[in-house]
Parts: sequence; structure tokens; C-alpha cells
Amino acid sequence: MTDDLPNPALLPAGLADLLPPDAEREAALVEAMMGVFASHGYERVKPPLLEFEDSLLAGSGAAVAEQTFRLMDPVSQRMMGLRADTTPQVARIAATRLGAQARPLRLCYAGQVLRVRGTQLAPSRQLPQVGVELIGGAAPAADGEIAVVAVEALAAVGVAGVSLDVTLPTMVPALLDAAGVDPVLRTRLARALDRKDSAAVAALVQGQDAALAVLPGLMAATGPADGALAALEAAALPESAQAIAENAAAVLAAIAARAPGLRITLDPVEFRGFRYHTGVAFTIYGPGMSGELARGGRYVSQNDEPATGMSLYPDAVLRAAPVMAPKPRLFLPVGADGAAFRAEGFATVAALAPDDTPQRLRCTHELRDGAPVPVVTKD
Amino acid sequence: MDHPIPTPLSPATPEDAGPIVLALPKGRILSELGPVLARAGIHPAADYADESSRRLRFPTEDPALDVIRVRSFDVATFVAHGAAQIGVCGADVLMEFDYPEIYAPLDLGIGRCRVSVAEPVAATGEDPSRWSRITVATKYPNIAQRHYAARGVQAEIVHLNGAMELAPSMGLAKLIVDLVQTGSTLKANGLRETEVIANVTSRLIVNRTALKTRPEAIGTWIARFRAALAERDAR
Repeated sequence: MTDDLPNPALLPAGLADLLPPDAEREAALVEAMMGVFASHGYERVKPPLLEFEDSLLAGSGAAVAEQTFRLMDPVSQRMMGLRADTTPQVARIAATRLGAQARPLRLCYAGQVLRVRGTQLAPSRQLPQVGVELIGGAAPAADGEIAVVAVEALAAVGVAGVSLDVTLPTMVPALLDAAGVDPVLRTRLARALDRKDSAAVAALVQGQDAALAVLPGLMAATGPADGALAALEAAALPESAQAIAENAAAVLAAIAARAPGLRITLDPVEFRGFRYHTGVAFTIYGPGMSGELARGGRYVSQNDEPATGMSLYPDAVLRAAPVMAPKPRLFLPVGADGAAFRAEGFATVAALAPDDTPQRLRCTHELRDGAPVPVVTKD
Repeated sequence: MDHPIPTPLSPATPEDAGPIVLALPKGRILSELGPVLARAGIHPAADYADESSRRLRFPTEDPALDVIRVRSFDVATFVAHGAAQIGVCGADVLMEFDYPEIYAPLDLGIGRCRVSVAEPVAATGEDPSRWSRITVATKYPNIAQRHYAARGVQAEIVHLNGAMELAPSMGLAKLIVDLVQTGSTLKANGLRETEVIANVTSRLIVNRTALKTRPEAIGTWIARFRAALAERDAR
């Protein structure tokens, strides 16, 4: 037999140890974002890592059912799930233990989620997640608040220049329903819209119901919110779609009023990746190519309550955020007292033995005549 | 909420820094693509079409656009990861990978071929409706698996990167799923095409994040390709 012993450093696929200084950076980032949520009146809840799968996979949880680790509870003999998303848990809390509390209810959370499978693009199977949920607020102002608070939380950790993409996942189904298209055409149109194949969309709506004739125009208008909104207002929409467009305009106005400098794009015909959203949905992209930092939107919470929320992904935020200077490390010789220096903002590293040196303890500063001075490194 | 699809390029780059990167496939498609690129006003450095050139990244006359030349399957990977913002690849590659990060807004109408099932001419006369599993040699494991799963057959994949046509006669697999252009390679190896899974043409693809965060720049390139196709088709 030539079985090699497994290397003890090897972790299961998609899992990682976060080391200094990244672990500290991520924790600081989570707390800074939670601080912004708290300052807007969002109260923190902490659901458990595991719960019975029937409550975990209810409502919006159904979208992550196939990504949920499950195990049998030996105590109750019932199936439990390890959360792949915190939103269903917050929805459960809002509907049950906080069911009697007056609405709207503003809740926030921070925790880890696990999923069965990573992808080539996003291989992690454990992700940190922080988020806000506003339950029982039906007004466009609620959607606006969620978007603005999320952008403010990102700004608080130094991620500026983000771009907010607003999508209307209910728009295309509303137009298709209004036109009463047959299932075959519906599938082909949905595919063409999903790929953003504008030539195919134009060809497919040729000679069809007038409700579909607006699709090519709406597709072409996708982009900066002002232009897209103008196209949406100019389009001859059926009643159901008109309501969606007016709601979108109100949400965008609410966001623009509270965050005037924010870069907003609007895609009225996007529905890819938004499976349970019932109103406007949001994606926040980081500056440059740093990718998606947050995702959310309006959904129906448990007990059919209207709700809106946003989940932010600290691992993605960490990649987009500027690197903060680590705390200076001050070497304390044996017997020295460091309380005053810690109060000044130093991390003090005490020597435990006479042969501990500032260099060995990776100190940036040492004491000379009782005052901290930078350590001189010898080449 | 749903999990986001991060573009895992580590450092945050300042917005709109750097040129847009267009990923092009090596080989057969590249020569068909030449006229389309020229009409769209893209003139890469002369050696881009020279397969013996060792360069992989080429500047174009437009300083805001660079071209990279990679394998057809890799075009989709580069674009999905956001390393290239736009690209050209076959619909077969998109079917195989099904990346949520890729939009395919334009059918370029070049590189026409099909993904097909082929089996030995001297077929055994088996009734496929009685199969519960079948061995398939292919470079498209996902397409083959999906195709047979839809008819209740478990496809056992022998993953090859080339010379699929040898597999049935050498006992590797009962049939193959492969890209067919004229069918002459199949014929030369004693195979016949029994079923077309999908017709394939080359598509212009774009990265989702790039389209969302740089809609003006990416939109302009899509419009230029669209105009180039309209001009070509008008002749």
C-alpha cells in the first residue's frame, strides 16, 4: 500500500482559515456595518445556526433548499438544516416571537451561512452574511431606506463609488401575462430576455400583442436610472405593468432624495437570479471589478407580510475595502506597564523572557526613555 | 437573500481603470471573425490572427480595447470571471457551462455547426427506449448528461478532449456527443449522425458585472457589433 497520510492542513473544499490580519479586518468590518444598521434603528437578532428544516426552508428559504446541509436531530428525531441564508430565520422570528410587536419591524443580523456546493466562480461554502430586514413596511419609502442604509454601511467601511442596480423581476411576467402569450413563446421570450439577446426579442414580439411591443424598447433603455426610467414612463404599459413602473419610479425617487450622489442603474427586464422577489430588487456592485457586494429586495415574509431586505457579503466587501493600517505593536520589556500606551491606541506585546526582542515579537515600536519610538530594522 | 456571484479578482481597482478586454477563440472561428471585427472598427495588432505568434494579449488601434486569444472553452471562463469583459464563443460552450455571470446578447451567425449524437454505422439495432444507462464519449459532459437525463437515461461519461470519433470503435463508449460541422470526420471513422442536440453559432458574450457597472462602454461595443452584423447582412 502506498496511501499517503492526508496533510493536516487540508480543509474540505470551499472552507478556509482566516488568519491575521484578515480575520480581524473582517470582524471590524462586520461590526462597523452593524453599527450603521443600529444607528438607523435596526435591532439585532441572533438566530441559531441550526433549526428544523420546515421553518428554515419556508418562504424565501425555498430558493436555497438545495444548498442547505441537513442532519437528523437525535433528540427530536426531526430533520434539521444548517442555514444557507439568514433571511428565512429573521422572517420566522418576525412572524412568531416578535409577531405581536408593532410594524414596521426593523431587524438586522450578522452570522455565518453554509452551503452544500460552491461554484467555480464562488468556491466558498462558508460565507459571512450581514443584513437588514424591514418587515411590514409596504411603502416605496421602505425599499428606498433599505438601499440607502446598505450603501451607507458600505461607505462606513471605506467602500465608496458603489453602483446600485435596480431590477424589476415582476415586470416581464406582468407583461407576458397581460399579453396572454402561449407557453412556447413564453419560454422562448424568457430565454432571449435572460440572455439579453435583443435581436431575438425583437423578432419574437413581431406581430404579437401590443403589451409585448414595449420589450425591445425597455431592453435598450437598460442603463443609468434616469434614462431607463424615462423610457419606462414613455412606454405604453398595460395596467399591471404600469403599477410596477410607478412603484419603481417612487422607489428611485426615495433613493435619490436620500443619497443624491449614488450611481444607480435600472434594468426593467432583468429577472435572472431573483426567484422570490415580489417588487423592486437590488444588487450593489463594488467599484471597478470587485463584483457583487450585496443583494436584496422586496419579498413576502411569513404570514403574508410585505417585507424588504438586503444581505451584504463581508467577504466580498473585504476585497473591495481599502486596507486599514494595523494597530502599531509596542514592545514592552519585562516588568514594564503598558496601560497608558494601550489607551493611546498601541497594541502592547509584553516580553515574557529576557531573550524576547521587538523583532521576534513583530513589534513596530519599542520604548526608549519611556516613550514609544519606531523599531529600526537592521538589514 | 440569494447568494451573490462575486467576481473574485482580489484588489479593488479604480472604476473604469484599464481597457476593456475582448476574448477571442483560437482556431477556425478566428478567421471567420476577421471581417466582423473590421466592420466593428476593431483592428488588433497584425499578429493576432497568426497562430504561431507567441503573444496572447494584443493591443488594438483603440487604446480602450485589448484583445486576448484563448481556447474557445476558456473564452467563457475568462468572461465569467470578469477577466475579460466581452468575448466571442460558441453556443456549445455556453450550453456546457451555463454560467450565470454571462449574457449572450448577439448571435454573430458565424461558426455554424451543431452538437450531435453519433453512433457506428453498423448499429446494433438496440431499442434506445429500453436503455437505463449509456456510455458516451464527449467533451461536453453536462450537455450529454442533460440530454439523456431528459429522456430518463443515465449517461456514463468518458470525458475526452479530442478524437472522440475513435471511442466507439475502440470500445470506450457506445456513442459520442460532439461538434459536427460537415460530418466528414464522422463518415471517415464509420460513424453516422443520429440526432442533433442543438444548432450552434458563435455569440458575443458579456460579463454581467461589467454590463451593470459600465453600461455605457459595454453598450457601445454591443451596438458596434450589431451595426457590423447589419451591414454584413445587408450585402
